[in-house]
Amino acid sequence: MGLFKRLTDWIDFRIGVRRIVAKELTGYLLPANINAWYSMGSILLFIFAMQVMTGCLLLIYYVPDADKAFKSVTVIMNDVPFGWLIRMCHAVGSNMMVLVLLFHMLSVLFMGSYKRPRELNWLSGFILFNLVMATSLTGYLLPWSQLSFWATTVATNSVSSIPVIGQYLVEFLRGGKLVGPPTLGRFYALHVAVIPIAIASLVGAHLFLLKRTGVSTPPFGLKESANQWQGDDYRYEDHPGGIPFFPNYALQDAVSVALYLTFFLTVVFFDPYLFFTRESFIAADPFQTPAHIKPEWYFLANYQTLKIFSNEFIGLSVQGMAMTCLALLPFIDRGRERHPLKRPLFMTAAIGGILLWVGLSIWGHYS
Amino acid sequence: MRQRNPAIKSTSRLMITCILVAILVIAYLGQSTTAGAADNVCIDCHGKLPGKYGEPVKLWQGSIHAANGVACNACHGGDPKDAANAMSPDRGFLGVPKEKDIPAFCGRCHVGVLKDYLASLHGKALGKGGPTCVTCHGNHKVVKASLELINEKSCSLCHSFKQEEIIKGVMAKTESRILAIDAGIAAFKQKGIDTDRLEKGLFAVRNSFHSLFHTVDVARVEMESARIGAELQKLDDLLKGFDAVQRQRRLIGAFAVAGALLFALLFWLLRKTYGRL
Amino acid sequence: MNEGRRKFLGICLGGAAASAAVAVGYPVYRYLAPLQKEKSAVKVVIPEQEVPVGGAKFFEYAGSTAVLVREHDGDLVALSAVCTHLGCIVQWEKEKQGFICPCHAGLYTAEGAVISGPPPKPLAKLPFVVANGIITVG
Repeated sequence: MGLFKRLTDWIDFRIGVRRIVAKELTGYLLPANINAWYSMGSILLFIFAMQVMTGCLLLIYYVPDADKAFKSVTVIMNDVPFGWLIRMCHAVGSNMMVLVLLFHMLSVLFMGSYKRPRELNWLSGFILFNLVMATSLTGYLLPWSQLSFWATTVATNSVSSIPVIGQYLVEFLRGGKLVGPPTLGRFYALHVAVIPIAIASLVGAHLFLLKRTGVSTPPFGLKESANQWQGDDYRYEDHPGGIPFFPNYALQDAVSVALYLTFFLTVVFFDPYLFFTRESFIAADPFQTPAHIKPEWYFLANYQTLKIFSNEFIGLSVQGMAMTCLALLPFIDRGRERHPLKRPLFMTAAIGGILLWVGLSIWGHYS
Repeated sequence: MRQRNPAIKSTSRLMITCILVAILVIAYLGQSTTAGAADNVCIDCHGKLPGKYGEPVKLWQGSIHAANGVACNACHGGDPKDAANAMSPDRGFLGVPKEKDIPAFCGRCHVGVLKDYLASLHGKALGKGGPTCVTCHGNHKVVKASLELINEKSCSLCHSFKQEEIIKGVMAKTESRILAIDAGIAAFKQKGIDTDRLEKGLFAVRNSFHSLFHTVDVARVEMESARIGAELQKLDDLLKGFDAVQRQRRLIGAFAVAGALLFALLFWLLRKTYGRL
Repeated sequence: MNEGRRKFLGICLGGAAASAAVAVGYPVYRYLAPLQKEKSAVKVVIPEQEVPVGGAKFFEYAGSTAVLVREHDGDLVALSAVCTHLGCIVQWEKEKQGFICPCHAGLYTAEGAVISGPPPKPLAKLPFVVANGIITVG
């Protein structure tokens, strides 16, 4: 008997691991017409794992004290062996996470996979989207550079336009009237502990819901691409005659992750400062606001929207309403059809929305 | 398709309308006024005055002093926060210096330059038709010192430009080296490299180089230029070191990217052996 | 036929994975290993009598200028002579028993504390020992 078989037997006789493998891996069947877009989630998991690992490594040398933070990051970048690599992986990775998340969301939108019975999955995904944005925002402050300090000032300021409680909300967020050491303290706690735990929990819920309901069938190449859900009872959506997750689709996931890594490493080694400005390398100075402070690319549309409306509260409300519509999409769009080319109303709204977001972002960049 | 309950439909429409109206009402009532921070009463007041009383403010705003937070009271004294006593001698207000007092006025901060100037031919001609600081540097629109301050127009106000042309020629080569190193440092700073010591080193060299001119002594300028050249070489070598490190990292990067592509290829080939998809 | 291919690809992947493990493991190991002490700068040795009471001696240390001061009560201080404002070298003023920076008139005490002017931080202190009439800085 080979050693491997003996080991597997030992574990199997105690926890039935072969049964688990048969059920969850080799016996877990995916729709026969599944496409590469279904890997986006796996890529996101990989990115999240990388962010946690590089983040933990950074924790070793980073000092969360307003007087020492900037210097500690300079030490990581210059004195710690490969510190520059860990830091740039973390910084570039956070931008990549948002990018891949947007693609994941778009593919779900276009394939109509948010429709019933997958509303809960969409909702958990929407909350994850907000958590990822929140972790990016809080992480941005930690290097305590001019860019960190003033971008956070602008971002937290936007909340002040909410009537009655606005000013108090701003102070609550900042831990004081202005961005300062208390802000660093709470943003650090959020970024390092609270939000990652929340993300991990919600990812768990997201995956559970996915497995419980069953993977959705892509609407392409089907005679009938409309939703078949009866809505009268729970039914697991299985795919008899489909593709085993392991090893077939698991290998597709591996290819997608490897391709993502190719792109990611190209940016990290050849132009990691794509997302950095001059102000990222100057220590925060509460008394000197640099000209042209702009938020990161994924917040540019929000930034520009606030600048369009003369009343900041309307600007905030408009965004709030847009996000609410996005969150409640499965309840607003109740049509059964899932093929993108057979949903003209949805496609017009979706593409219009995307173009608007891109347009606002470009405008925000140049204004 | 199930028929939706008409009551639910109209209720949700009503709710949405109410929320929209509420938002608009709150927005109108809750319009915020932004309070402007009172900065500096000198600028607030003189900025609004016409003619020669308001001109200095605009000129100053384009200066290197303004970019570094050196405002009116830093040179003229007085109290920038108290409008009533802003120009009171009790608060140290010095007013406009007379021609002979100008070098001491600027020299309160620019100590080294004052020493060099007073020992020079220019300094010895102070009050007898010689130049003061503002003759070449201007008074409010003082910009970062460069070789352009040595020019035919300024120098020939009093004498021929010949000596100055020689000095400028000697200084031009060093100046261009300084500018090149400055640009190099800025490029590396943008990459997160700790350029603090380099920046300080360059500033010290640049300063000693520029103040050199105030002695208007050709021989001295030539001698010091050689010493300064050696200092600049040290800085240049450091920059070359950074460059080498960057090249090495890019090389590692090329291998890493190739490795990732290799993984993608191997996984894809393996996937194909399982058919389907 | 596929079995053969799979085995071959499996071996290739195994090899690639091993190299990747080293490629990732080595930087992480170096990152985690305790930092080597900064290449100890060449120590500078100065005989005590070169620093008179109320006087200062400038010398080169670790690539930039440093200064030794002997105050009126006999105490020695070793400081970096690089002004913390923009980097000019400070000068010793005997009458005032302090340092002045010729660039923008930053004033420091004999111990390097900022009295007035633009410098944001005091002059950096340097470690030194005195033994048998010899001062060793570094």
